[in-house]
Amino acid sequence: MIRMNVFKELYNYRELLKTNIKKEIRGKYKGSWLGILWTFLNPLLMLAVYAFVFPYILRVDVDNYTIFMIVALIPWNFFTTAVQTGTNSVVIEGNILKKVYFPREIIPISTTTSQLINFLITCLIMVVFIIFSGVGFSWHIIFFPLLVLIQYLITLGLSFVLSAVTVFVRDVSHFVSVVLMLGFYATPIVYLSSMLPQKFQIFLKINPMAQLVEAYRSVLYYHQLPDMTMLAIWGFGSIVIVVLGYIIFKKLEKSFVEEL
Amino acid sequence: MEKNTAIEVNHVSKDFKLYYDKANTLKEKLLFFSKKNRDKNDIHHVLKDISLDIKKGESVALIGTNGSGKSTLLKLMTKIIYPTKGKIHTYGKLTSLLELGAGFHNDFTGRENIYFNASIFGLTRKEIDEKIDEIINFSELGDFIDNPVRTYSSGMYMRLAFSIAINVQAEILLIDEILAVGDQHFQEKCFNKLRELKKSGKTIVIVTHNMKQVEEFCDRAVWLYQGQIRMDGEVKDVLKEYLKVCG
Repeated sequence: MIRMNVFKELYNYRELLKTNIKKEIRGKYKGSWLGILWTFLNPLLMLAVYAFVFPYILRVDVDNYTIFMIVALIPWNFFTTAVQTGTNSVVIEGNILKKVYFPREIIPISTTTSQLINFLITCLIMVVFIIFSGVGFSWHIIFFPLLVLIQYLITLGLSFVLSAVTVFVRDVSHFVSVVLMLGFYATPIVYLSSMLPQKFQIFLKINPMAQLVEAYRSVLYYHQLPDMTMLAIWGFGSIVIVVLGYIIFKKLEKSFVEEL
Repeated sequence: MEKNTAIEVNHVSKDFKLYYDKANTLKEKLLFFSKKNRDKNDIHHVLKDISLDIKKGESVALIGTNGSGKSTLLKLMTKIIYPTKGKIHTYGKLTSLLELGAGFHNDFTGRENIYFNASIFGLTRKEIDEKIDEIINFSELGDFIDNPVRTYSSGMYMRLAFSIAINVQAEILLIDEILAVGDQHFQEKCFNKLRELKKSGKTIVIVTHNMKQVEEFCDRAVWLYQGQIRMDGEVKDVLKEYLKVCG
């Protein structure tokens, strides 16, 4: 009964969701000369920096290191930007929250979704790289949408919780950026997971992004099946995270306006 | 739960915590703690056990001096804030005009902002498409509609905001102190529109200090005094008593 209402209200406000996402994507580069082109340029330049720097400071013995890194870095980038903007989203929209009623969950949903769209656009870069490097595609790519879905749900769940908690404790936002920075190194993005000492391997096990990055890499780089038990665990886990996140958000949203 | 009830306020109380120099971060909290400066947050009872039934099609004015809780009651009806105790139910699509232009984006054009703003009120794209000409005409912005909102004068800004809010087809309209929009001509136009809405059976709740507007426009007045209902009834009777005390 309650679940039905959730979707019904979101459906009623679908136009708000759409315009919010559009605003998020277009507004970001509004006023800049190159406009929407930055959606491509930004990750491309970042990739260039990473691809240039890491082979020199880190010896990773794999073919096509650039592709090895890109297929992990682009999903990771989606994760960090979405979590970071999600965390601040409710506080930023504070002024509107004080004046108009609309389902509050629209805010974290639209930041996460706009980052998802940004991610899918950036994937075009990834496709170009994969084709021109000769790595190519295999049928394993059918798992790709599933991985994206799992990642989206986990990100959304985290955004629900973090955006709500940040309203009450603003420090969370700073804390999150540090944790994300640490997360970059606790995820096998620029290195092979086997390069990590035994005592740290546990971090890769409990870090869902590490598991997802490995799965992306299996599908796009090694042309292998992803680890199926991991897929099952995090497929289920992502649903739990999003539902729990939503419940917490709904509990906290009632006092948002008084704290903003 | 009668069918013709629009807003049902049931034993509602609302408390606000009063913060003196609110410590927002852990650092501040620790600092305040060490200074023994940690204020016991006082609790301010803004509304005390209010019960109120507003029927469909009624035009109700909430009157009272500053700080009597009128705006808080209106915000509770909008679901921007939630009651500490009690329940509020509203039946039908509700629009509130608490502050005009909430959610405008300065870099986008007037036309784009119509879409943003109307969608905040819960309209779908199709509904906005149907209404957009009416909204633009009502705002009298003409060609300016395709200019970014940041180039607007404050009068133009207000006119656009009001045109959107009033053309959103809601069954319940909550209006807080904002009828002083634009020049005489535009104000008159707004009131005509409100009368039209009233005639078509919409429920309207207004918070205002302008007693002339109340007398002209509303059927019923609710006088709030220090968070409680002092009087509730026909506009004439309530206004007479109110002016005796506050006039």
